[in-house]
Amino acid sequence: MSDFQSFDQLLTYCQERQNSIWQAALTQEVEDSGRTEEAILNGIHQLVAQMRATIESGIASDDPSMSGLSGGDAKRMMAFLQDSNCVLSPLNIRMMAYGLATLEENSRMRKIVACPTAGGSGSVPAVLIALEDEQKVSREKTVSGLITAGCIGEIVSKRMHLSGAAAGCQAEVGVASGMAAGAMVEMLGGSPQQVLHAAAISMQNLMGLVCDPVAGLVEVPCVVRNGLSGVQAAAAATMALAGVKSFIPIDEVVDAMAEIGKLMPRQLKESADGGLAQTPTARAFTNRFFQMSNKASNLY
Amino acid sequence: MSGLFDIVGPVMVGPSSSHTAGAVRLAILARNIAQKPIQSVRFDLYNSFAKTYKGHGTDRGLLAGMMGFSVQDDRIRDAYSWAEKLHLEYEMLPIESSNHFSPNTVVFKMILEDGENLTVVGHSIGGGKVYVSKINDYNVSLKGEFPTLLLFYKDQPGMIWQASKVIAEKSINIASLTCTRRKRGIEAFMSIALDAPLPSGFLESFREAFRQIPDVYSVRAIDQLPL
Repeated sequence: MSDFQSFDQLLTYCQERQNSIWQAALTQEVEDSGRTEEAILNGIHQLVAQMRATIESGIASDDPSMSGLSGGDAKRMMAFLQDSNCVLSPLNIRMMAYGLATLEENSRMRKIVACPTAGGSGSVPAVLIALEDEQKVSREKTVSGLITAGCIGEIVSKRMHLSGAAAGCQAEVGVASGMAAGAMVEMLGGSPQQVLHAAAISMQNLMGLVCDPVAGLVEVPCVVRNGLSGVQAAAAATMALAGVKSFIPIDEVVDAMAEIGKLMPRQLKESADGGLAQTPTARAFTNRFFQMSNKASNLY
Repeated sequence: MSGLFDIVGPVMVGPSSSHTAGAVRLAILARNIAQKPIQSVRFDLYNSFAKTYKGHGTDRGLLAGMMGFSVQDDRIRDAYSWAEKLHLEYEMLPIESSNHFSPNTVVFKMILEDGENLTVVGHSIGGGKVYVSKINDYNVSLKGEFPTLLLFYKDQPGMIWQASKVIAEKSINIASLTCTRRKRGIEAFMSIALDAPLPSGFLESFREAFRQIPDVYSVRAIDQLPL
C-alpha cells in the first residue's frame, strides 16, 4: 500500500525501502493506474520533450500574446546572457528565460505542459531544462526530477485545490516552486529528506501569494512570476543541499497554505477584483481590452 | 484520487488549466453525456468563469470541447470560426456570482437532435481537473476518471442486481456505484464507474439486458476523459 496521503507517509515508505522519492512515486503510479513502469516512464519522457519544445519555441519568438500584454521577454533574457552587466550565473539566466518562455507560449494559446497548472507551468520546466542545458544533467535524471515534482504536487493536491480561484497564486506558482525545488534536489543527488526540505522552504517563501491577474488574463503578473519562481526554487534547493532545514514539517506547511487560501478574500483569488488587477494602469488596460474584445468577440 | 499525470500534465493549449483545459474537458464530458448530436447549447457561466471567461479562453474551450476537440488541439484558438463551420448553435451567458456554486462553474443547457432537453452542471477545480455534479435533476459525481454507465429508470427493486450481474459476466470490476432517486417508486438514477474500458459490443448487451425490464428510460456509457 503506497497511496501517500502525506509527506510523512511518503518519507517513511522511502526510508523503509531505501527508495528515492521518484522510485516510490513510480511504484505508486504503477499500482494506481495499472499501467506498466515502461509506459509511465515513456509518458514522462514525452512530457519533458514537450517542455523543451515549448521553451525552444518560446525563446525564439517575438510574437505578442493574444491580448498584446506580454511576449518577447524570454528572448530578451537569452540575449542578456552575452551582456557584460549580466552578473547572475548562466544557469539563473536560463531559468528566468525558460520560465518566461513557457508562460509566453501559454498566453499565445500555444501548447504547454500544465505543471501543476497552466498559470504555474513555468517553474518546473525552467529548472529541469536549464539543468540539462547548463549542468549537462542526463535525460534520465530529468525524468526522475519530473516524477519527484509530480509526487510533491500530488500530495499537496490531496490537501488543497490547486487553483488560483480556490487558494490564490500560492496554490499555483507557490506549489510549482515547491515541486521545482524538490526536483532539483533529486536531480543533484540529494536525499528524500532534503527534497522535502527544499519543497517546504520554497513553498513557505511564496505562501500567501495572491492571484490578482490584470484583466483576468494569465499574463500580468503571471509571466514574470514564472520567470522568477524557477530561480527561487533553485535557491531553496541549494539551501536544502547545504543542510538548511525547514523548521515546520512540510505537511504542516501545506496545511497552513490551505488555511491561508481559505482566509484569503475572494477579491484576491483570481477574480481580478483586487491587487494589481485594480491598479489605475490595470483598470485602464482592462477597459480598452474589453472594448476591443466586445467589438470583435471572434478575436477574444 | 489524482495520478502523477494529473499534476504533471496535461499537455494543453493555454492560457489556463482551470479555465481553458478544464472548460474543454467539461464540455467533452457534457457532450459524452448527451450521446446524441447537440442542436444547441447555452453555457451559463458562474463566478470566476463569468468574470474572466474571455481572457482565459473559457469560451473557446467550451466550444472546442462541444465539438469534441481535445485540450491540446490547436483549433481551440479558432474555436469560434470552427463553431460556425460545424454549425454549432450556442449562447454564452455570464451570470456573475452564486454562492451555490464552486468558483468555476458552468451549466450546460443543451437541446439535443430529437428535442430532448439536457442540463449538466460542471465544475473546474484546478489543473484541468473537473467534475459534473448534476445531470438534469440528479446529483452525481462524475469526474471522467473511469468509463461510466449511467442509467435512468423507474425506481424499482432489482436494478443494482441486474446491472452488476451483466458487468460481472464480463469480468469487469466496478470502481464505484451510486444510486439516487427523485422520488420513491418514481424515477431513479444509477451511475457505475468501471475499472476497465468497455469491451466492444458491451453497451449493446447491457442495454439488451435492460430491455426486458419495464420503464428503463435510458442507458448511457460515458468514456473516460483523456488527460
